[in-house]
Amino acid sequence: MEINRSIEWECCWDRDDIVMGYCPNISEGDEDLLVSRSRRILEKCCECDNFKRDIVRFRDSGHPLAPVFSILHADYRRQKSQIQSLASFLDTKTLEVRFLHELGSVLQSSVDLDEVLSIALTAITAGKGFGMNRAFLLLADKERHILRGHLAIGPRSAEEAGRTWQEIESGDQDLQGLSQAFRRDKLNAERDKFHDILERLSIPLDNEEHIVIQALKEQRPLLITDALYRQDQDGEFARMLGVDSFLVLPLIARNRRVGVIITDNFITHRPINEQDMKSIENFSFPVAFAIERASLYERVQEEVDKLKQANHRLQEQQEQLVRMEKMALVGRITSSIAHSIRNPLMVIGGFARSIMKSTPATDPKRSFIESIVTEAHQLEQVLGEILTYSDALFPTCDFWDPNQLVETSLRDIQERVIAQDYTCHFHAGDRLPPVYIDFKQTTYCIRNILLSTIDGLQNGFITISTKPEGDYVVVRIVDRDRTLSEDELEALLTPFTETREMGSGLNMALSRSMLDKQNIPLVVVAPPEGGVTYTIKLPTCKEEKT
Amino acid sequence: MNKLLVVDDEANIRLLYSEELADEGYVVETAATIAEATEKLGQQNFDLAVLDIKLKNESGIELLQKIVKERHDMPVILCSAFSCYKDDFSAWLADSYVVKSGDLTELKEEIKRVLSKKAQRHAAGM
Repeated sequence: MEINRSIEWECCWDRDDIVMGYCPNISEGDEDLLVSRSRRILEKCCECDNFKRDIVRFRDSGHPLAPVFSILHADYRRQKSQIQSLASFLDTKTLEVRFLHELGSVLQSSVDLDEVLSIALTAITAGKGFGMNRAFLLLADKERHILRGHLAIGPRSAEEAGRTWQEIESGDQDLQGLSQAFRRDKLNAERDKFHDILERLSIPLDNEEHIVIQALKEQRPLLITDALYRQDQDGEFARMLGVDSFLVLPLIARNRRVGVIITDNFITHRPINEQDMKSIENFSFPVAFAIERASLYERVQEEVDKLKQANHRLQEQQEQLVRMEKMALVGRITSSIAHSIRNPLMVIGGFARSIMKSTPATDPKRSFIESIVTEAHQLEQVLGEILTYSDALFPTCDFWDPNQLVETSLRDIQERVIAQDYTCHFHAGDRLPPVYIDFKQTTYCIRNILLSTIDGLQNGFITISTKPEGDYVVVRIVDRDRTLSEDELEALLTPFTETREMGSGLNMALSRSMLDKQNIPLVVVAPPEGGVTYTIKLPTCKEEKT
Repeated sequence: MNKLLVVDDEANIRLLYSEELADEGYVVETAATIAEATEKLGQQNFDLAVLDIKLKNESGIELLQKIVKERHDMPVILCSAFSCYKDDFSAWLADSYVVKSGDLTELKEEIKRVLSKKAQRHAAGM
């Protein structure tokens, strides 16, 4: 049977080529459909109202195939719709897989706990992630057997939500960028913001009736709905969160309970569906592993730091031991030499004195004996200094009055001061705190400085002052009558060197060494225009020796 | 005349002390070891002892403790090359401490001072 050729068709299906504007469904970008009849029929005509009317006309024409064609057309449309929805589903899944892959890569590359947590919570709440409103993270404290609120993210009011979401939208950042910005700018602020809730999110791990512990035990997410007005534990928990529905997501790594994420739509109140739950469940595995790994890394780092510190301390102690052994050896050798020398020296000097007593001044040999006595005496003094130096290797510190320290030193040199017609002015500071020093050694040092100052000069003037400065009491000795060159200043503080003005020996170098042993700095300033200032800073508290 | 016991392991030092202290008017006996000193202390009465701390393989401190225990009325002056013994608690048992020197002025003054203190104690009946 032939189709009635007189039928006026509305659609373009019977034309090989058409021009733009002929078909209402073809617009710019679809130009190739203008010349491809088969594609045009499948892609456009089947959905076109003109075509549908043409089918009605065809059915009315009485052609025997007309009803079959209608059936085929309807089934084609149904299948096409199914394919489209499957494609849409696949697109969604592809996006989800891509998102999870991105998330997994970022999580796997980090061993920083804060970074991992920032990524995890940002992924749950970001529109580009799972788009939930808020997320709370509870971590397992295995020592105390509790789950403890650790971190939260999200707005606490609609205004804040609007502001934050607008900010995120205008920023156009990817997930990694968002989590980095969160960690950098908001992590601590969010923790503070949710402090009240986080503090209450403390659940004993053995409270098996609690919904959160149940989720951990069953190792699967639990969706709680309509809980706000319930009179059970879930209701109480929902009221604390301030939401009717929430999702509890356990974080399990290798059967170890890492923690729990609780998420909700506090602002939008969008119902949480099965699909949300499944998507977030897939995400929980890499998060749990990443948190576990970062926590372990943190613990390993702590142990490494402890080991490093222990190693450092050991090294220091070893060095100190070596130093002490060396010092003890020096002390032993010095004492031994001193003892061996002092006895014969004493005998020489002693007998020389005896002989001198019975030798008349006119005897030509008297001057020889006098020389022996003088030289032996000088050697005894050097020996005394060496022994004092070996004593100085081990200071014994305690708290002392700084003014008493200066007064004792001044009293010790009083005779010399008077003999050389010197004037010493001591400005004692008021209510000074006690200083932590070896009194004997420090007195010796101050006495040495004063003796060096007056040595070889007459009618001089020295000012001594004590005053508090922070954790120290500063003793300042100012000698305005002496001028020292740079070389002389350096020589002054070097053992066994002789300066033109300051005599010879160990005195000043020994003083500095003694003060060094007590961690007390001695600063000597001798400006070219004249005058010498000695500054000693005495500590007012015990300090760990470095 | 006061009688002194000088204990030192160096023969020359014993000789020096004997000469110098005899010149000061003391009767001086010497000993080189603790055993010799103990023997002399057992046989004679002394007014004061001058002890060297380092006696070859022996310690003058040991002898000091013995004297303090057995003859607590006899003062002791310690002599040594080591000034650090001033800080040794056991050396505090001695009545005085003098660092060895060819110039015996300090030792002589200390002997005088200690003996005078002893005389005062006796006079006071202590």
